[in-house]
Amino acid sequence: MTILLQALLNGLVSGALLAVPAIGFTAMFAVLRFPNFSVSGIATLGAFAGYVAYAAGLQIVGSLAVAFAIAGAVGLFLDRTAHMPLVKQGALPAAIASIASGLVLENVVRLLFGNELRGYDRPIARDLRIGDIRFSPQQLETMAIALAIMLAVFAALAFTRIGKSMRASADNPELAALKGIRPQRVAMMASFVGMGLVGMGGMLLGLDSSIDPLTGTRILLSIFAAAVLGGLGSAPGAVLGAFLIGIAEEAAVLAVGSAYRAAVGFFAILIVLSLRPRGLLGERAF
Amino acid sequence: MNRLAIGRRAALLSGVAAVASPSVLRAQADPIKIATLTPLTGAGGPYGPVMAKVAAAVVEEVNAAGGVLGRKVQLVSEDDQTNPDAGVRAARKLIDVDKVSAIMGTWASAVTAAVAPLCWESKTFLCTVSGADSITLLPHQGYLVRTQPNTLLQVTRAGEFLLSLGAKKTYTLVPQTPFAQRSIEILAEVSKKAGGGHGSQIYDDKKTTYRTEIDQALRFGPDAIFCAGYTPDTIVLLKDLYRAGYKGKILGQAYAVNQKLVDQIGQNEVVEGVYTFAPSVAEGSTALERVKKMSGLASPDPYTSQVYDHTNMVLLAMAVAKATTGTAIKDNIRKITQGGGKPVDNAVDGLKAITAGEKVDYAGASGPCDFDDKGDILDCKFRYEQIKAGKATLVKVA
Repeated sequence: MTILLQALLNGLVSGALLAVPAIGFTAMFAVLRFPNFSVSGIATLGAFAGYVAYAAGLQIVGSLAVAFAIAGAVGLFLDRTAHMPLVKQGALPAAIASIASGLVLENVVRLLFGNELRGYDRPIARDLRIGDIRFSPQQLETMAIALAIMLAVFAALAFTRIGKSMRASADNPELAALKGIRPQRVAMMASFVGMGLVGMGGMLLGLDSSIDPLTGTRILLSIFAAAVLGGLGSAPGAVLGAFLIGIAEEAAVLAVGSAYRAAVGFFAILIVLSLRPRGLLGERAF
Repeated sequence: MNRLAIGRRAALLSGVAAVASPSVLRAQADPIKIATLTPLTGAGGPYGPVMAKVAAAVVEEVNAAGGVLGRKVQLVSEDDQTNPDAGVRAARKLIDVDKVSAIMGTWASAVTAAVAPLCWESKTFLCTVSGADSITLLPHQGYLVRTQPNTLLQVTRAGEFLLSLGAKKTYTLVPQTPFAQRSIEILAEVSKKAGGGHGSQIYDDKKTTYRTEIDQALRFGPDAIFCAGYTPDTIVLLKDLYRAGYKGKILGQAYAVNQKLVDQIGQNEVVEGVYTFAPSVAEGSTALERVKKMSGLASPDPYTSQVYDHTNMVLLAMAVAKATTGTAIKDNIRKITQGGGKPVDNAVDGLKAITAGEKVDYAGASGPCDFDDKGDILDCKFRYEQIKAGKATLVKVA
C-alpha cells in the first residue's frame, strides 16, 4: 500500500513537470493545426538556455524566464520559416519538417555545448518523510513552480484579450477572422507562448536530473502521449493527460518493471486513438 | 569566358583520366584501409574520441616506418553515437563505401551486437571492447575478438569484491542492455552461494527520475547495490539513492562512475564511498607507457589501451598473413598474440621482426591479449577504486 501511495506521489510530481510542455504542445496544435515535433529540440534548447542563465547567477524563476524567451523566439522563428509554409500542403509535411528542425536544434546545442551531461548546480538534499511516504523538498518546489506556470497560462487564456483570441481562433478560425481577430498574430503568439512553455518544461525536467542534447528527445513521447490522451488541442486535457501519463509510468514500474515504461506512452496513444480518438476531454481549447 | 570554359574542360579531362587509369596501377598506391567505430557522442562520448586518437597515432607510427607489406595504412574513423542504429549506418558506410578490412573499438554492447552480423557477413574483422556474454556467442565464424572481459568474468569478480566487503544481500539495478539479464543471474549466483540473497530490477535508462525504482530496491533491504548502468542514468540513480537516505554500499562500473559523473553531480557527499571496478590496464607495461604518450593521459582508460592493442594486432596479423583482408586477419590473429615468440608491444617492432622471419607474441597495454576460440580473452586483472572526497582512490588491483 505504502509503495502504491509513494508511486502515486512520484507520478504526480513527474506529471506536473510534464504538463507544462504538454500544454505548450497542445496549444500550438489547437491554433496551428499540426503536431509540432520540434518540441524535442526546443525543450533541449530551453533546458540549456535556463542552464546558462542559472550558471550566470539568475535564480530559478529568472532562469525559467530566459528559457521561456529563448525557446519561444527560436520556436517562433522555426514555425515562420520552416513549418508554417508547409501547413498549406497538410499537417503531415509540416509535422515531418518539425521533426527535422528538432534534429537540427538538437545538434546545434551539441555543437555549442558538446555531449557532456550538465547539471544545474543545485544542492541535493535528503528527502523528508511523513510516515513511510517520502518526498523531496526540491521536487515539491519544482512542482509548485510548474503548477504556478499552469495557473498563469489558464488565467491568460481566460481573462486576457490575446488569450481569448487564441481560443476563438482555435475554435473557429474563419469566424474569429470575421470578428477582426488577426489569425497571423494569433498564430505567432501561439508559437511563441507554446514553445516558451516547452522550453520551460525542458528546464523544469532538467532541474532535478541532468541535461544533455538528448534531453528533449527523451520526453517527446511522454509529451505527445499526454496531449493525445487529454485530447489534442485541449489545454486542460493536456494537464489531465500529463498527470495520467506520469502516474501510469510510475505505476508501470511496480506492475511490469521500469524497462517497459516507454510502452506506457505508446499504449496510451493506442487505446485513446482506437476507443476515443478525440481524447478524454475532446478538442475544446479550454 | 572562353578561358574559363577551357579551364573547366581541362579539369574534367584530368578527372576522367584519373578514373580511367588502370585499376592495377592504382591498387599499388592504394592504402590499406582499417577503421575505428567508437562512440564520439552519447554515453560513451568520454572515451571514443581518445580511442580514435590513439588508433590514429599507431597508424601514423607504422606509416612513418614504411607501412605494412609496403603499403601505407589509412585509418577511417566513424562515430557510433553509442547507439545501435547509428552504429549500423556507420558500419555499412565503412564496409560498403570505404571497404575497410577491420573495424575496431565498438564500445557499447548493444552497438557491437548490431554491427557484428554486418562484419562477419562481409568478412570484415571486428575488434570490440564490449563485455556482454552474448557477443562472443554470436555465430561470428571467428571474425570477432574482444579485449574486454565478458560479463561472467566481470560480474563474478564484482560479486566477490562485494562479498569481501561483507555485503551478502545484494541488489542489481541495470538498464535494458545485452548484459542486463546475465549480470543479474551471475550476481545472484555469487551472492546466494555465499548464503546471501539477491534482488534486481531492469530499468529504462531514459527516465528523468528513479524514485519508484529505488523505493522498490530499498524494500529488499540490500547491503550493497550494484548500479550497472552508464553515466547519464547512474547520475540520476545516485542522486535519488542519496535523497532516499540509502546508507549501504554502492558498486558501479568505472566507465559509468567516472570523474565526469562526480563533477556533474557536483556534491561530494552524494558519491562519497561509492566503489567502482574495471578491467585493469597492464600497469607497468611498456605498451601502457606508449599509450600514455599517444593519448596525452596520465592514466589511460582500459578502452583506449584496448584499441591501441586492436590496431597493433590487426596490422601484425596482416603482415604475418601477407594479405590484408578480414579473412587474413581472422586466420592469423592468434599467431601473433599467443603461442610464444619474440615479445613485442607495438606494431613497428613486430613488423620488423616478422619481416626478419621471426615469430612474435604480442602483449599490449590492456593485458596479454590471448584469445580463446570464441574470441574472449583468457585472463585479466581488475582495478577496484573508491570515491573519497570527490576523487577515485585505489582500493586494489587483483
